[in-house]
Amino acid sequence: MRSILIAATLLIAAPSLIVAAPAKTAAPAVIAITGGRLLTVSHGTIENGTLVIADGKIAAVGEAGKVKVPAGAQIVDARGLTIYPGLIDPETNFGLTEVSADQESNDLAERSDEIMPHMHVYDAFHSETELIPVARLNGITNAVVAPATDDSIAGQDIFIQLAGVDRDAMIMGRDVALAMNFGAEQRRRGGRGGKPEYPSTRMGLITQLRQTFLDVQDYVAKRDAAAKKDDKAFKRDLKLEALIPYLKGERPVVVGVYESYDVETIMALAAEFHLKVILNHVTHSQEVLDKIATYKVPVIVGSIYDAPRADERFDAVYTLPAELAKRGVKIAISSADAGGPASSHSSRNLPYAAGFAVAYGLPYDEALKSITLNVAEMFGFGDKLGSLDVGKMANVVIANGDPLDVRTDVKQVYIQGVAVPMVSRQTRLRDEYSK
Amino acid sequence: MPHPHQPLLSASRAARWFGIAVLACIPISSSGQQAPPTDLVIKNATVMTASHGTIEHGSVWVHAGKIAGVGATVDAPATAVAVDGTDMWLTPGIIDPHSHSALDSDVNEATSPVTPSMHMIDAFDNRDADLYRALAGGVTTELLLHGSANMIGGQAVVIKNKFGLDRDAMLFPNAPGSIKFASGENPKRVYGSRDQLPSTRMGNFEVMRLAFEDAKHYMAEWDAYDAKAKKGDKDAVAPKRDLKLEALADVLRGKLYVQIHCYRADEFLTEEAIAKEYGYKIRAFHHALEMYKVADKIAADQTAIATFADWWGYKDEAWDAIPWNAVMSMRKGVRVALKSDSDDHIRRLNQEAGKMIHYGGATEDEAIRMVTLNPAWIIGVDERTGSIDVGKDADLVLWNHDPLSTYARAQKVYIDGDLFFDASLPGLGTTHFNGVMHNGGGFGSDDEEDGQ
Repeated sequence: MRSILIAATLLIAAPSLIVAAPAKTAAPAVIAITGGRLLTVSHGTIENGTLVIADGKIAAVGEAGKVKVPAGAQIVDARGLTIYPGLIDPETNFGLTEVSADQESNDLAERSDEIMPHMHVYDAFHSETELIPVARLNGITNAVVAPATDDSIAGQDIFIQLAGVDRDAMIMGRDVALAMNFGAEQRRRGGRGGKPEYPSTRMGLITQLRQTFLDVQDYVAKRDAAAKKDDKAFKRDLKLEALIPYLKGERPVVVGVYESYDVETIMALAAEFHLKVILNHVTHSQEVLDKIATYKVPVIVGSIYDAPRADERFDAVYTLPAELAKRGVKIAISSADAGGPASSHSSRNLPYAAGFAVAYGLPYDEALKSITLNVAEMFGFGDKLGSLDVGKMANVVIANGDPLDVRTDVKQVYIQGVAVPMVSRQTRLRDEYSK
Repeated sequence: MPHPHQPLLSASRAARWFGIAVLACIPISSSGQQAPPTDLVIKNATVMTASHGTIEHGSVWVHAGKIAGVGATVDAPATAVAVDGTDMWLTPGIIDPHSHSALDSDVNEATSPVTPSMHMIDAFDNRDADLYRALAGGVTTELLLHGSANMIGGQAVVIKNKFGLDRDAMLFPNAPGSIKFASGENPKRVYGSRDQLPSTRMGNFEVMRLAFEDAKHYMAEWDAYDAKAKKGDKDAVAPKRDLKLEALADVLRGKLYVQIHCYRADEFLTEEAIAKEYGYKIRAFHHALEMYKVADKIAADQTAIATFADWWGYKDEAWDAIPWNAVMSMRKGVRVALKSDSDDHIRRLNQEAGKMIHYGGATEDEAIRMVTLNPAWIIGVDERTGSIDVGKDADLVLWNHDPLSTYARAQKVYIDGDLFFDASLPGLGTTHFNGVMHNGGGFGSDDEEDGQ
């Protein structure tokens, strides 16, 4: 086994496969990954499988012998290795933060107002962040980038590819979802010694949101009337305009909420305005999981490591993914660290969070889906990403074992069919001091 | 210097904990609990000893709270309570050499950069829920340390995580004393933001030298007095006892293990130079994220490190952190422990150890030692816990899965041979706890800025 692993590693590390800037390569070679264990996510596990990549897409996938390896294809011998679709992190701050404590490197949230739907993450996304190669090395190939959670409506998310020559090559979708939050954190209680400002209570937060949504409806009516009259004097309101697609239910609203009673409150408001909701966190909502299932909305669980309430059993949050999945809820798992400020530095631990959910009862296949296909589907990329299926983008990972296990080493990551150099600032430091 | 322990529960503290309920006499001791069995034998488990490899289908015999036998077979008496370990893994209790749990955020007396006479024991809240959650993650021993606001923060407390027992019953008996030092960004930020010394790394280190000069002067005054008194000089006047200077004198006398919060390679070198200049040893650098850059030099000083598996980037001095640090440093001869510095990560330090197989190729033995025997050495209790060896305290964890994987759950946690956590029990799974837990708040991290 060891010699096979080394052989595979050497092959993967062959210079011909090292491409400095993946997306620059117009036509990646045809690649056949043979002999490995394929975790397709969509149609089970293939023990001895072949995966063919051409033109950046998955051209064929199936059992060895049933899939024809095209003549001239680069063969990657993956015997003893495991192949799976690139992992997708449903909530990160990639490109909005570099050094958490260094304020100059952070563009996390615009706290000047609670309602900031016209904040576009793409305006701040720093695609050259060192955080991305670090996450990529552990098999993360795509992510949602959202603003931090300070505001009731913090802005609009982007969906990214974790490789590309520049920002535009890496952003796969702009304004893919609205980042909304409800709970204790968003109340404007004032800083140290500061005076409280409206909205300083949950009553205030909800009233402000409802008024905002009514303002949008009023704005749409006035805008349409002005358009009919060809009224050139009509002034655009970027803030209200930003909310229109979400009030039409055209795009998802990611609602960050922790406590059960907050879930019920915000979902009532969402129903009032027909929002297309993705629930996020629901960390302390164990009492209303049946009710959450009746909403028929997907749920992002993050962080699975959030602390339970005092006097709750230690695993009250660890079991949340399993309990939701058991009730038929489509779940995603995010990499968020517990407690502290949002930290995408730990995005590379995404598969371990899913594995931990398995330890606490989530079926393995559901866990893998919760960091691949389910995330892709929630954010509108289900036809392009999230499983090993013909026609999908060839975002593929080769590892030396179970992707959800902390002991597993990722050997090679492909993004759009291109072998991404397995280097980061951290591997460069490692190598420099290993001399 | 023996620390005068506070009464078990002051009236005001009890009132704060329990409100009116204190009047109802909620029992806080283990009274009413069954005594642990004199003999216990865990059979047919995969026994990861941490000191001498893994024994497949091994057994461990516990007698009177100590490990009495370990091997393929043991000579436990027929009366021993038997626990079936089939398809399970047995490890030593997990040891965290860097925790700030159960302190109600009283982590930094950040009113002066040198506060060596602050004692963590005075803030220890033995009912904090974070202790319970750590116990459920297999943690049996913790070094509760001061934060890093001060260059010299104060004296730590070592606990056994006997959640449910009273405060004093949770203290690790006769554990050596440790004192927490810090360096780098935190002290200079805390005091610099108030336009006080230190506001730079230059100021940081000079604050320490000034403190040790004061301590040397104090020691000399006492030496002079002692010499006079010994000669029978009736006019000799004893200097005033100064708690701060006595604590620093204990550092110089080598009576306290020095545990230093330190990130950068250059600062390890400076700290070692100051330690040599003043004649004390550094037991361990904590965080130590750049140790891989100078590990050969630090290995020669026999200073250990307590580091993170893979945290990085949260501040400038964590920018060069790499997840290979632990294994690279270990290969250069540094004794390496992993630690939590977090009420979150303390619950799954076994997984952090598992990551070391991925990041640098640690063996299973090496990985498990990073969360058992090596942290025990840093605390100074490695002769008594941290491995499954005859004569050691029976601090043991039975896992349902390989503890170095993502999938392991602690099933039973024993401390001194007594069962403190059993996942198969309904409710909390605790065996000695009743009453109300406290949420201490915060994340249990050095970088919280409480006390600023």
